[in-house]
Amino acid sequence: MENIIQTLRKNRSQTIMLATLVVLFLSTLQGMEPNDWVITVLRGLAVASVTFLVASGFSLIFGLMDVLNLAHGTLFMIGAYVGWTAYVRPDTMLDLATPFALFIAGLVLAPLWGNLLARARVSNVGHILPWVIIILGLVVLAFGLTRYPITAWDPAVYDKSPVVFGVKLDLGQTDLPAPVTAESAQIVLAMVGILAGSALVALGIALSAMRQRRAAPARAAWKALGLALGLSILGLVLHLWNDALTASLVAAGTTWRFFLAMIVATLVGAGLGALMESTLIRPLYVRPIYQLMLTLGLGVIGREVVIAIWGRTQMQMPKPALFNTIGKGCPAQTLWDALANQCSTFYFMETRVRTYNEVFVFVMGVVVLIAVWMLLQRTRIGMIIRAGVQDRAMVEALGINVRQVFTFVFALGVGLAALGGVLAGPAMGVSDDMGEGLLLSALIALAIGGLTSFPGAAAGSLLVGLLQQFIVKYGQIGIALPFLAQPFKPTPPLVPASTLLLMVIVLLIMPNGLFGRKE
Amino acid sequence: MKILRAHSAFLALVVFLGVFPFLIAILDGQSFADVLANQSGQSKFYQGLLIEIFILAVFALSYDLLFGITGLLSFGHAMFFAVGAYTTGIALKSLQLPLPQTLVIVVLAGIAQAVLFSIVLPRVKGITFALVTLGFASVFHIIIMSHELSSITGGDVGLQNIPKPDYLDPAAQRLTFYFVALAFMLLVYLFYRRFVDSPTGRVCVAIRENEHRARMLGYNTFYFKLVALIISGITAALAGALHAVYQPIVSPVTASLVYTVNALLIILVGGIGTLSGALVGAAVFRSLQFFLDKIFAESSSLILGMVYVAIVLFVPYGIIGTWRAKKFEWQAAWRERWAKLKKIVQQ
Repeated sequence: MENIIQTLRKNRSQTIMLATLVVLFLSTLQGMEPNDWVITVLRGLAVASVTFLVASGFSLIFGLMDVLNLAHGTLFMIGAYVGWTAYVRPDTMLDLATPFALFIAGLVLAPLWGNLLARARVSNVGHILPWVIIILGLVVLAFGLTRYPITAWDPAVYDKSPVVFGVKLDLGQTDLPAPVTAESAQIVLAMVGILAGSALVALGIALSAMRQRRAAPARAAWKALGLALGLSILGLVLHLWNDALTASLVAAGTTWRFFLAMIVATLVGAGLGALMESTLIRPLYVRPIYQLMLTLGLGVIGREVVIAIWGRTQMQMPKPALFNTIGKGCPAQTLWDALANQCSTFYFMETRVRTYNEVFVFVMGVVVLIAVWMLLQRTRIGMIIRAGVQDRAMVEALGINVRQVFTFVFALGVGLAALGGVLAGPAMGVSDDMGEGLLLSALIALAIGGLTSFPGAAAGSLLVGLLQQFIVKYGQIGIALPFLAQPFKPTPPLVPASTLLLMVIVLLIMPNGLFGRKE
Repeated sequence: MKILRAHSAFLALVVFLGVFPFLIAILDGQSFADVLANQSGQSKFYQGLLIEIFILAVFALSYDLLFGITGLLSFGHAMFFAVGAYTTGIALKSLQLPLPQTLVIVVLAGIAQAVLFSIVLPRVKGITFALVTLGFASVFHIIIMSHELSSITGGDVGLQNIPKPDYLDPAAQRLTFYFVALAFMLLVYLFYRRFVDSPTGRVCVAIRENEHRARMLGYNTFYFKLVALIISGITAALAGALHAVYQPIVSPVTASLVYTVNALLIILVGGIGTLSGALVGAAVFRSLQFFLDKIFAESSSLILGMVYVAIVLFVPYGIIGTWRAKKFEWQAAWRERWAKLKKIVQQ
């Protein structure tokens, strides 16, 4: 008891702030019908979980490395598009898996090249040579990639556009186009080309690393060789079993494919994040402000690439079958009935609630919250991350390889954002501008909760999500204010304005946010 | 003579920009009389592009003073620009005021907004200040876009049909406008140079480097930050006013984060805290936008993003910043090459 009072006294301003917010929240409930506020709270929680997935990654990255990753919204969107591909077009995803595995197999050879170059006593390679080799490698890579058969879509042709495939799947049709075939000689040539091209790129990277006098240890070289061999074999196996795997994925149904999509998007996001950090962001730790420009540029590039591949039109991502049945015992009376009958809606406190939008998204948000919390609190790497957020220089001084931790955290943060994209896809559609608004919401949520605090990210996202949904709801039903005769209906622009104002007020009262530590 | 040599680059720039409209006319085969009479042609077109660059450069200069010199990162700087633009537009259109009075109001509005920003200054620092100013600017953006005010501000379309004064009509008097904008930019630049070299400016730099130490030395840092904010605010508001007179339409985008980010990108391209970097950056930024759009059309923003990434990687401190850092190295390298060449020729 005494402990609690002491904690309260220590965190006086937080307590007052939270109490005020709770009072405000309860007072908003007064003017609403019960089923209105049940649905609004549930929607707010769902929006909060998606915001949280973006915000938590952003805050981990900012907290540990002081990088404001403005590409985070774009990476969220890329996650949604990658998830869409795995979900709607598993054949394309499997076709892409082989070249991708070969590409990575070539890239991981970099330490081996570094070791060989060191043994051959190569030195003084100059500025130009590494770039020439990298560009040469990219050309060979492009040669191989264009010759490998990939059954894809074409945004320019209506029948083959990704939009149509989304709609078709929503109607329950999974007729994928006939797979593109090629002569086996050409396929072998393409595969060798991809492997050789990426190996050349790796050689260029190793050469430029030579110039900076960073030698790779011998053990890493053997590991790299093993990894490359393994990945090549994986690529080959995927190619040989391509048709069988495609058939089994199509037969598996949308529920399993959705979980696969979440995993694939998270992994691709994490890979992109690791790549970004290790190649582009790492040289910029010494001049932090240029990180803003770099991440902005990357955001633009990412968005344009997405438009070039998937087209500009908004795409549908149908809900997985587990949450998409109408009729036959639906809408269910309880959540368990809904899951048993695979209903799309069910009744919760006499309110009709959508199983996917309002329940599943929120549950996933909570699962990720707990998982990341456990990672941060209970594992060794989590301990290093927490220590790094507090004092980076000290952690480095203790002899911990902070670079690896940086790459890990960047991968984790971007992976979380990509997962958020897949989750948001069925609820709000997949479009190229879905990331921007969310990045702003996430930034606001972080400012409210405290920029570098993980519980702060959760609390801020919760506040932002609830506030947004309450304003939206009041826009429909009107709010009775004491000094107005007519009920006041907030217009749509007031949704972002309200969260911005909340942020300004919170920051003026508590400059470090609700949970932020004073610097 | 010594002064002339020390500022040779600046003087060359002034001369070049002064003769630029006529230079284009020679290349295009247009007579000087046509240029002076504001006949349409390549010269008039490129004058327009340069006017946009001048306005952007002044806006970027004001951001450089705030962020590059004083070290205050603000994500709401576009609000100054938009306040200037919208005040000008509304004063000219709805209140039917002549331009000089309007400019006085714009200056007052700029000061008022700087004071508004400075209210939060003692409370929030660093990235939090940036976020609070972002909050202010975004709320302002939402207000000017709102449906209720659309009779005054034009809603989300923007402010149209602003009456332009006859002597500064961007269509009929483009050449006059060109020189007015050029003179404005040069004046602001010289004033900023002087300001940075003044004791007050020195303290601003000290605040950027280490605010605690500046305070320990007995400076009231709040006062100096306020001065920087007011000067920067007035300049940005005046740039906005010029924008409102020049452009046929004042879009609400001018108040959004996009415009602040543009200013940030410009000074990053040019070099932070160099002032002249803002001028170079604005020229590079706008011409890149223009020519990439012309050449690549659809995929221009992809190329633009790549150019930004390339600049970050290969021009590490912006154009002017990198030039200042590497100047002697490069000059020495060229001298060596020149000497080698001489030797070869002599042999």
